[in-house]
Amino acid sequence: MSQSDSDQNDLMRLLVAVSREDHDAFQQLYQSVSSRIFGMCLKLAGQRDLAEDALQEAFIQIWHRAREYHTDRGLPLGWMMSIARYRTLDMMRARKVRRSGGEEHLEYVEDGREGPLDESLRSAGEAQLTDCLDELSDVQRDSILLSYYKGLTHDELAEVLSSPLGTVKSWIRRGLMALKRCLEP
Amino acid sequence: MKKTPERIEIFSAEYVLGTLHGAARKRFERWMMESAKVREEVWFWEQKLGLLSLEVQEVTPPSSVWSSIERRLWQVESHGGKAQSRANHRWFWPSWSVMATAAALVMAVVLLQPSTEVSQTQLSGAIVQADTSDPLWLVSETGQDNLLKMRSVAASAAEAGKDYELWIVPENGQPLSLGIIPVGGLHEVTLTDKARQALSQSRTLAISLEPLGGSKTGQPTGPILHVAKLYEL
Repeated sequence: MSQSDSDQNDLMRLLVAVSREDHDAFQQLYQSVSSRIFGMCLKLAGQRDLAEDALQEAFIQIWHRAREYHTDRGLPLGWMMSIARYRTLDMMRARKVRRSGGEEHLEYVEDGREGPLDESLRSAGEAQLTDCLDELSDVQRDSILLSYYKGLTHDELAEVLSSPLGTVKSWIRRGLMALKRCLEP
Repeated sequence: MKKTPERIEIFSAEYVLGTLHGAARKRFERWMMESAKVREEVWFWEQKLGLLSLEVQEVTPPSSVWSSIERRLWQVESHGGKAQSRANHRWFWPSWSVMATAAALVMAVVLLQPSTEVSQTQLSGAIVQADTSDPLWLVSETGQDNLLKMRSVAASAAEAGKDYELWIVPENGQPLSLGIIPVGGLHEVTLTDKARQALSQSRTLAISLEPLGGSKTGQPTGPILHVAKLYEL
Protein backbone atom coordinates (compact mmCIF):
# COMPACT_ATOMS: atom_id res chain seq x y z
CA MET A 1 0.00 0.00 0.00
CA SER A 2 1.51 3.24 -1.09
CA GLN A 3 -0.12 5.53 1.41
CA SER A 4 -1.05 4.31 4.85
CA ASP A 5 -4.28 5.39 6.51
CA SER A 6 -2.37 7.53 8.98
CA ASP A 7 -0.64 9.32 6.09
CA GLN A 8 -4.00 10.03 4.53
CA ASN A 9 -5.37 11.24 7.86
CA ASP A 10 -2.42 13.62 8.17
CA LEU A 11 -3.06 14.96 4.67
CA MET A 12 -6.73 15.37 5.46
CA ARG A 13 -5.89 17.33 8.60
CA LEU A 14 -3.51 19.56 6.65
CA LEU A 15 -6.02 20.11 3.87
CA VAL A 16 -8.67 21.21 6.36
CA ALA A 17 -6.17 23.66 7.87
CA VAL A 18 -5.27 24.94 4.39
CA SER A 19 -8.94 25.58 3.69
CA ARG A 20 -8.76 27.93 6.70
CA GLU A 21 -5.81 29.68 5.07
CA ASP A 22 -3.19 28.25 7.43
CA HIS A 23 0.15 29.06 5.77
CA ASP A 24 2.21 26.65 7.88
CA ALA A 25 -0.14 23.78 7.12
CA PHE A 26 0.16 24.57 3.43
CA GLN A 27 3.94 24.41 3.63
CA GLN A 28 3.76 21.08 5.48
CA LEU A 29 1.36 19.77 2.87
CA TYR A 30 3.76 20.83 0.12
CA GLN A 31 6.65 19.14 1.89
CA SER A 32 4.66 15.94 2.33
CA VAL A 33 3.43 15.43 -1.20
CA SER A 34 5.38 17.63 -3.64
CA SER A 35 7.93 14.91 -4.53
CA ARG A 36 5.22 12.41 -5.40
CA ILE A 37 3.29 14.94 -7.42
CA PHE A 38 6.40 16.30 -9.13
CA GLY A 39 7.47 12.77 -10.10
CA MET A 40 4.12 12.32 -11.81
CA CYS A 41 4.23 15.74 -13.55
CA LEU A 42 7.76 15.05 -14.78
CA LYS A 43 6.91 11.62 -16.11
CA LEU A 44 3.84 13.00 -17.86
CA ALA A 45 5.46 16.10 -19.36
CA GLY A 46 8.94 14.73 -20.00
CA GLN A 47 10.23 18.30 -19.52
CA ARG A 48 11.58 19.66 -16.29
CA ASP A 49 10.63 23.30 -16.73
CA LEU A 50 7.09 22.46 -17.72
CA ALA A 51 6.75 20.03 -14.82
CA GLU A 52 8.00 22.70 -12.40
CA ASP A 53 5.51 25.25 -13.74
CA ALA A 54 2.69 22.71 -13.56
CA LEU A 55 3.59 21.83 -9.96
CA GLN A 56 3.52 25.51 -9.06
CA GLU A 57 0.14 26.05 -10.72
CA ALA A 58 -1.23 22.94 -9.06
CA PHE A 59 -0.32 24.15 -5.58
CA ILE A 60 -1.72 27.61 -6.24
CA GLN A 61 -4.98 25.84 -7.11
CA ILE A 62 -4.79 23.53 -4.11
CA TRP A 63 -4.45 26.60 -1.88
CA HIS A 64 -7.50 28.25 -3.42
CA ARG A 65 -9.62 25.13 -3.77
CA ALA A 66 -8.89 23.23 -0.55
CA ARG A 67 -12.40 24.08 0.59
CA GLU A 68 -13.86 22.25 -2.40
CA TYR A 69 -12.31 18.94 -1.43
CA HIS A 70 -14.61 16.24 -0.11
CA THR A 71 -14.20 12.52 0.30
CA ASP A 72 -16.41 11.63 -2.69
CA ARG A 73 -13.52 12.91 -4.76
CA GLY A 74 -11.18 10.26 -3.41
CA LEU A 75 -8.31 10.38 -0.96
CA PRO A 76 -6.59 13.75 -0.44
CA LEU A 77 -3.44 12.69 -2.28
CA GLY A 78 -5.44 11.46 -5.27
CA TRP A 79 -7.39 14.70 -5.42
CA MET A 80 -4.19 16.75 -5.44
CA MET A 81 -2.61 14.42 -8.01
CA SER A 82 -5.62 14.94 -10.29
CA ILE A 83 -5.32 18.71 -10.06
CA ALA A 84 -1.63 18.50 -10.92
CA ARG A 85 -2.26 16.08 -13.76
CA TYR A 86 -4.84 18.36 -15.39
CA ARG A 87 -2.54 21.38 -15.05
CA THR A 88 0.30 19.42 -16.64
CA LEU A 89 -1.90 18.26 -19.52
CA ASP A 90 -3.20 21.81 -20.06
CA MET A 91 0.33 23.16 -20.25
CA MET A 92 1.50 20.38 -22.55
CA ARG A 93 -1.35 21.16 -24.93
CA ALA A 94 -0.89 24.94 -24.63
CA ARG A 95 2.84 24.66 -25.33
CA LYS A 96 2.24 22.04 -28.00
CA VAL A 97 4.57 19.49 -26.43
CA ARG A 98 4.91 16.48 -28.73
CA ARG A 99 5.26 13.20 -26.93
CA SER A 100 6.27 9.85 -28.26
CA GLY A 101 6.24 6.46 -26.64
CA GLY A 102 10.03 6.34 -26.57
CA GLU A 103 12.09 3.41 -25.37
CA GLU A 104 10.38 3.51 -22.00
CA HIS A 105 7.17 2.31 -23.59
CA LEU A 106 7.51 -1.29 -22.44
CA GLU A 107 8.51 -0.34 -18.94
CA TYR A 108 5.23 1.53 -18.49
CA VAL A 109 3.22 -1.42 -19.60
CA GLU A 110 5.04 -3.58 -17.08
CA ASP A 111 4.39 -0.97 -14.39
CA GLY A 112 0.71 -1.60 -14.42
CA ARG A 113 1.07 -5.28 -13.70
CA GLU A 114 4.05 -5.84 -11.45
CA GLY A 115 5.25 -2.46 -10.31
CA PRO A 116 8.02 -1.75 -7.87
CA LEU A 117 6.02 -2.63 -4.81
CA ASP A 118 5.49 -6.02 -3.33
CA GLU A 119 2.09 -7.35 -4.30
CA SER A 120 1.10 -8.02 -0.70
CA LEU A 121 1.68 -4.39 0.25
CA ARG A 122 -0.62 -3.01 -2.38
CA SER A 123 -4.03 -1.68 -1.64
CA ALA A 124 -7.03 -3.68 -2.75
CA GLY A 125 -7.78 -0.92 -5.25
CA GLU A 126 -4.41 -1.16 -6.92
CA ALA A 127 -4.59 -4.94 -7.10
CA GLN A 128 -8.05 -4.71 -8.66
CA LEU A 129 -6.90 -2.16 -11.22
CA THR A 130 -3.92 -4.30 -12.12
CA ASP A 131 -6.12 -7.37 -12.53
CA CYS A 132 -8.59 -5.47 -14.68
CA LEU A 133 -5.84 -4.00 -16.87
CA ASP A 134 -4.63 -7.58 -17.34
CA GLU A 135 -7.96 -8.52 -18.86
CA LEU A 136 -7.59 -5.98 -21.67
CA SER A 137 -5.98 -6.79 -24.97
CA ASP A 138 -2.33 -5.72 -25.24
CA VAL A 139 -3.10 -2.82 -27.60
CA GLN A 140 -5.93 -1.55 -25.44
CA ARG A 141 -3.76 -1.64 -22.33
CA ASP A 142 -0.78 -0.04 -24.10
CA SER A 143 -2.94 2.78 -25.47
CA ILE A 144 -4.46 3.55 -22.10
CA LEU A 145 -1.19 3.44 -20.17
CA LEU A 146 0.66 5.53 -22.77
CA SER A 147 -2.06 8.17 -22.60
CA TYR A 148 -2.14 8.12 -18.84
CA TYR A 149 1.58 8.22 -18.12
CA LYS A 150 2.80 10.29 -21.05
CA GLY A 151 -0.22 12.36 -22.00
CA LEU A 152 -0.27 11.06 -25.58
CA THR A 153 -3.12 12.36 -27.70
CA HIS A 154 -5.03 10.16 -30.13
CA ASP A 155 -2.83 11.46 -32.97
CA GLU A 156 0.39 10.77 -31.10
CA LEU A 157 -0.81 7.29 -30.15
CA ALA A 158 -1.61 6.54 -33.78
CA GLU A 159 1.96 7.48 -34.66
CA VAL A 160 3.59 5.59 -31.82
CA LEU A 161 1.52 2.46 -32.36
CA SER A 162 1.75 2.78 -36.18
CA SER A 163 -1.99 2.38 -36.53
CA PRO A 164 -4.81 4.40 -38.09
CA LEU A 165 -6.37 7.08 -35.92
CA GLY A 166 -9.82 5.48 -35.95
CA THR A 167 -8.39 2.17 -34.80
CA VAL A 168 -6.52 3.79 -31.92
CA LYS A 169 -9.62 5.70 -30.81
CA SER A 170 -11.58 2.50 -30.78
CA TRP A 171 -8.90 0.66 -28.74
CA ILE A 172 -9.03 3.42 -26.13
CA ARG A 173 -12.80 3.55 -25.95
CA ARG A 174 -13.32 -0.16 -25.86
CA GLY A 175 -10.46 -0.58 -23.43
CA LEU A 176 -11.87 2.02 -21.07
CA MET A 177 -15.36 0.57 -21.19
CA ALA A 178 -14.05 -2.95 -20.56
CA LEU A 179 -12.02 -1.56 -17.68
CA LYS A 180 -15.11 0.10 -16.24
CA ARG A 181 -17.15 -3.11 -16.41
CA CYS A 182 -14.38 -4.90 -14.58
CA LEU A 183 -13.89 -2.19 -11.93
CA GLU A 184 -17.52 -1.53 -11.17
CA PRO A 185 -18.83 -3.06 -7.96
CA MET B 1 -24.92 17.42 -27.99
CA LYS B 2 -27.18 15.48 -25.65
CA LYS B 3 -25.81 14.01 -22.45
CA THR B 4 -26.65 10.37 -23.07
CA PRO B 5 -25.41 7.85 -20.46
CA GLU B 6 -23.08 6.35 -23.07
CA ARG B 7 -21.51 9.72 -23.89
CA ILE B 8 -21.15 10.65 -20.22
CA GLU B 9 -19.45 7.34 -19.59
CA ILE B 10 -16.91 7.51 -22.39
CA PHE B 11 -16.22 11.25 -22.27
CA SER B 12 -15.62 11.10 -18.51
CA ALA B 13 -13.10 8.33 -18.94
CA GLU B 14 -11.34 10.12 -21.80
CA TYR B 15 -11.40 13.41 -19.91
CA VAL B 16 -9.55 11.89 -16.97
CA LEU B 17 -7.23 9.91 -19.22
CA GLY B 18 -6.42 13.14 -21.08
CA THR B 19 -7.33 12.02 -24.60
CA LEU B 20 -10.34 14.33 -24.71
CA HIS B 21 -8.94 17.68 -25.74
CA GLY B 22 -9.57 20.95 -27.53
CA ALA B 23 -13.17 22.01 -28.01
CA ALA B 24 -14.50 18.63 -26.87
CA ARG B 25 -12.68 18.99 -23.54
CA LYS B 26 -14.07 22.48 -23.00
CA ARG B 27 -17.60 21.30 -23.86
CA PHE B 28 -17.23 18.44 -21.42
CA GLU B 29 -16.07 20.79 -18.65
CA ARG B 30 -19.34 22.61 -19.14
CA TRP B 31 -21.17 19.30 -18.75
CA MET B 32 -19.33 18.82 -15.46
CA MET B 33 -20.61 22.17 -14.24
CA GLU B 34 -24.13 21.32 -15.27
CA SER B 35 -24.52 17.80 -14.03
CA ALA B 36 -23.76 16.02 -10.77
CA LYS B 37 -23.97 12.69 -12.59
CA VAL B 38 -21.15 13.78 -14.90
CA ARG B 39 -19.00 14.93 -11.98
CA GLU B 40 -19.52 11.64 -10.15
CA GLU B 41 -18.46 9.74 -13.25
CA VAL B 42 -15.30 11.88 -13.47
CA TRP B 43 -14.54 11.26 -9.79
CA PHE B 44 -14.91 7.51 -10.38
CA TRP B 45 -12.21 7.61 -13.05
CA GLU B 46 -9.98 10.01 -11.12
CA GLN B 47 -9.94 7.54 -8.27
CA LYS B 48 -9.47 4.41 -10.39
CA LEU B 49 -6.90 5.70 -12.85
CA GLY B 50 -5.30 7.83 -10.12
CA LEU B 51 -3.95 4.63 -8.61
CA LEU B 52 -1.54 4.48 -11.54
CA SER B 53 0.08 7.71 -10.33
CA LEU B 54 1.03 6.05 -7.06
CA GLU B 55 3.41 3.80 -8.99
CA VAL B 56 5.45 6.72 -10.29
CA GLN B 57 8.85 7.38 -8.78
CA GLU B 58 9.13 10.41 -6.51
CA VAL B 59 11.34 13.30 -7.64
CA THR B 60 12.19 16.20 -5.33
CA PRO B 61 11.31 19.50 -7.01
CA PRO B 62 13.82 22.39 -6.84
CA SER B 63 13.31 24.85 -3.99
CA SER B 64 12.54 27.60 -6.50
CA VAL B 65 9.08 26.09 -7.01
CA TRP B 66 8.11 26.63 -3.39
CA SER B 67 9.59 30.16 -3.43
CA SER B 68 7.48 31.01 -6.46
CA ILE B 69 4.34 29.65 -4.81
CA GLU B 70 4.96 31.68 -1.66
CA ARG B 71 5.66 34.78 -3.67
CA ARG B 72 2.51 34.43 -5.71
CA LEU B 73 0.26 33.68 -2.79
CA TRP B 74 1.64 35.93 -0.13
CA GLN B 75 4.11 38.25 -1.81
CA VAL B 76 6.98 36.81 0.22
CA GLU B 77 10.22 38.09 -1.31
CA SER B 78 12.81 35.41 -1.86
CA HIS B 79 16.45 36.39 -1.72
CA GLY B 80 17.69 37.95 -4.92
CA GLY B 81 14.47 39.75 -5.78
CA LYS B 82 13.43 37.21 -8.35
CA ALA B 83 9.93 38.61 -8.37
CA GLN B 84 10.71 40.94 -11.17
CA SER B 85 12.78 38.51 -13.22
CA ARG B 86 9.80 37.19 -15.11
CA ALA B 87 8.54 40.62 -15.99
CA ASN B 88 8.75 41.12 -19.69
CA HIS B 89 8.60 44.32 -21.67
CA ARG B 90 5.40 43.76 -23.55
CA TRP B 91 3.43 45.97 -21.30
CA PHE B 92 2.43 49.29 -22.82
CA TRP B 93 0.51 52.20 -21.45
CA PRO B 94 -2.00 52.96 -24.24
CA SER B 95 -3.86 49.71 -23.86
CA TRP B 96 -4.10 50.28 -20.13
CA SER B 97 -5.87 53.61 -20.46
CA VAL B 98 -8.04 52.41 -23.34
CA MET B 99 -9.19 49.38 -21.42
CA ALA B 100 -9.78 51.34 -18.26
CA THR B 101 -11.99 53.76 -20.16
CA ALA B 102 -13.79 50.98 -21.91
CA ALA B 103 -14.65 49.49 -18.59
CA ALA B 104 -16.93 52.51 -18.17
CA LEU B 105 -16.29 52.84 -14.52
CA VAL B 106 -16.24 55.96 -12.47
CA MET B 107 -12.98 56.32 -10.67
CA ALA B 108 -13.75 58.25 -7.58
CA VAL B 109 -11.73 58.73 -4.52
CA VAL B 110 -12.86 59.06 -0.98
CA LEU B 111 -10.84 59.76 2.05
CA LEU B 112 -10.71 57.10 4.62
CA GLN B 113 -10.29 57.94 8.28
CA PRO B 114 -9.20 54.85 10.13
CA SER B 115 -9.95 55.40 13.78
CA THR B 116 -6.77 54.12 15.32
CA GLU B 117 -4.05 54.49 12.77
CA VAL B 118 -4.38 58.05 11.55
CA SER B 119 -0.86 58.90 12.47
CA GLN B 120 0.59 56.02 10.47
CA THR B 121 -1.72 56.03 7.48
CA GLN B 122 -0.16 57.78 4.56
CA LEU B 123 -2.20 56.94 1.49
CA SER B 124 -5.79 55.94 1.28
CA GLY B 125 -8.64 55.75 -1.13
CA ALA B 126 -11.38 53.59 -2.47
CA ILE B 127 -12.14 51.50 -5.48
CA VAL B 128 -15.65 52.28 -6.61
CA GLN B 129 -17.99 51.34 -9.41
CA ALA B 130 -20.61 53.54 -11.13
CA ASP B 131 -23.69 51.47 -10.35
CA THR B 132 -22.78 50.58 -6.79
CA SER B 133 -23.28 53.06 -3.99
CA ASP B 134 -20.78 51.56 -1.58
CA PRO B 135 -17.11 51.37 -2.50
CA LEU B 136 -15.93 47.92 -3.61
CA TRP B 137 -12.77 48.12 -1.57
CA LEU B 138 -11.29 50.64 0.81
CA VAL B 139 -7.55 51.00 0.64
CA SER B 140 -5.17 52.31 3.23
CA GLU B 141 -1.45 52.28 3.53
CA THR B 142 0.39 52.22 6.82
CA GLY B 143 3.84 53.63 6.43
CA GLN B 144 5.33 51.96 9.44
CA ASP B 145 5.10 48.30 8.37
CA ASN B 146 4.95 48.85 4.62
CA LEU B 147 1.48 47.39 4.72
CA LEU B 148 -1.28 48.05 2.25
CA LYS B 149 -4.69 47.14 3.61
CA MET B 150 -7.64 46.36 1.41
CA ARG B 151 -10.97 46.14 3.14
CA SER B 152 -13.60 44.59 0.95
CA VAL B 153 -16.94 46.37 1.25
CA ALA B 154 -19.24 45.84 -1.72
CA ALA B 155 -16.91 43.77 -3.91
CA SER B 156 -18.50 40.65 -5.35
CA ALA B 157 -16.65 37.43 -6.12
CA ALA B 158 -14.83 37.14 -9.44
CA GLU B 159 -16.49 34.92 -12.02
CA ALA B 160 -15.79 31.18 -11.75
CA GLY B 161 -12.21 30.26 -12.55
CA LYS B 162 -10.98 33.87 -12.20
CA ASP B 163 -9.25 35.93 -9.56
CA TYR B 164 -8.83 39.65 -9.00
CA GLU B 165 -5.22 40.78 -9.12
CA LEU B 166 -4.01 44.04 -7.65
CA TRP B 167 -1.35 46.15 -9.35
CA ILE B 168 0.61 49.27 -8.67
CA VAL B 169 0.62 51.36 -11.83
CA PRO B 170 3.95 53.20 -11.66
CA GLU B 171 4.63 56.52 -13.32
CA ASN B 172 6.89 54.80 -15.77
CA GLY B 173 7.31 51.19 -16.75
CA GLN B 174 5.30 48.08 -16.11
CA PRO B 175 2.73 47.45 -13.41
CA LEU B 176 3.92 45.68 -10.29
CA SER B 177 1.77 42.83 -9.09
CA LEU B 178 0.61 42.90 -5.49
CA GLY B 179 -0.91 39.47 -5.86
CA ILE B 180 -4.48 38.30 -6.03
CA ILE B 181 -6.98 39.87 -3.68
CA PRO B 182 -9.77 37.95 -1.99
CA VAL B 183 -13.31 39.22 -1.66
CA GLY B 184 -14.52 39.60 1.89
CA GLY B 185 -12.73 40.77 5.00
CA LEU B 186 -9.46 42.55 5.35
CA HIS B 187 -6.55 41.69 3.09
CA GLU B 188 -3.04 42.91 3.81
CA VAL B 189 -0.17 43.13 1.37
CA THR B 190 3.37 43.80 2.48
CA LEU B 191 4.97 46.20 0.06
CA THR B 192 8.58 45.77 -0.95
CA ASP B 193 10.66 48.92 -0.85
CA LYS B 194 10.48 49.12 -4.61
CA ALA B 195 6.71 48.74 -4.63
CA ARG B 196 6.29 51.30 -1.88
CA GLN B 197 8.43 53.79 -3.74
CA ALA B 198 6.49 53.27 -6.98
CA LEU B 199 3.18 53.68 -5.16
CA SER B 200 4.21 56.83 -3.33
CA GLN B 201 5.14 58.38 -6.68
CA SER B 202 2.20 57.32 -8.84
CA ARG B 203 -0.43 56.74 -6.12
CA THR B 204 -2.26 54.61 -8.62
CA LEU B 205 -3.63 51.12 -8.13
CA ALA B 206 -5.46 48.93 -10.59
CA ILE B 207 -7.35 45.66 -10.46
CA SER B 208 -7.46 43.23 -13.36
CA LEU B 209 -9.35 40.00 -13.89
CA GLU B 210 -6.91 37.10 -14.20
CA PRO B 211 -6.96 33.31 -14.38
CA LEU B 212 -7.24 31.50 -11.06
CA GLY B 213 -4.09 32.12 -9.03
CA GLY B 214 -3.24 35.29 -10.90
CA SER B 215 -1.49 36.31 -14.10
CA LYS B 216 1.03 33.74 -15.24
CA THR B 217 3.16 36.23 -17.15
CA GLY B 218 3.89 38.67 -14.34
CA GLN B 219 1.89 41.32 -16.21
CA PRO B 220 -1.86 41.90 -16.48
CA THR B 221 -3.42 39.59 -19.05
CA GLY B 222 -7.12 40.11 -18.42
CA PRO B 223 -9.33 43.19 -18.61
CA ILE B 224 -8.52 46.09 -16.30
CA LEU B 225 -11.62 46.41 -14.15
CA HIS B 226 -10.72 49.29 -11.92
CA VAL B 227 -8.14 52.03 -11.63
CA ALA B 228 -7.97 54.11 -8.47
CA LYS B 229 -5.89 57.02 -7.38
CA LEU B 230 -4.92 57.20 -3.71
CA TYR B 231 -4.80 60.39 -1.71
CA GLU B 232 -2.41 61.41 0.99
CA LEU B 233 -3.92 62.00 4.36
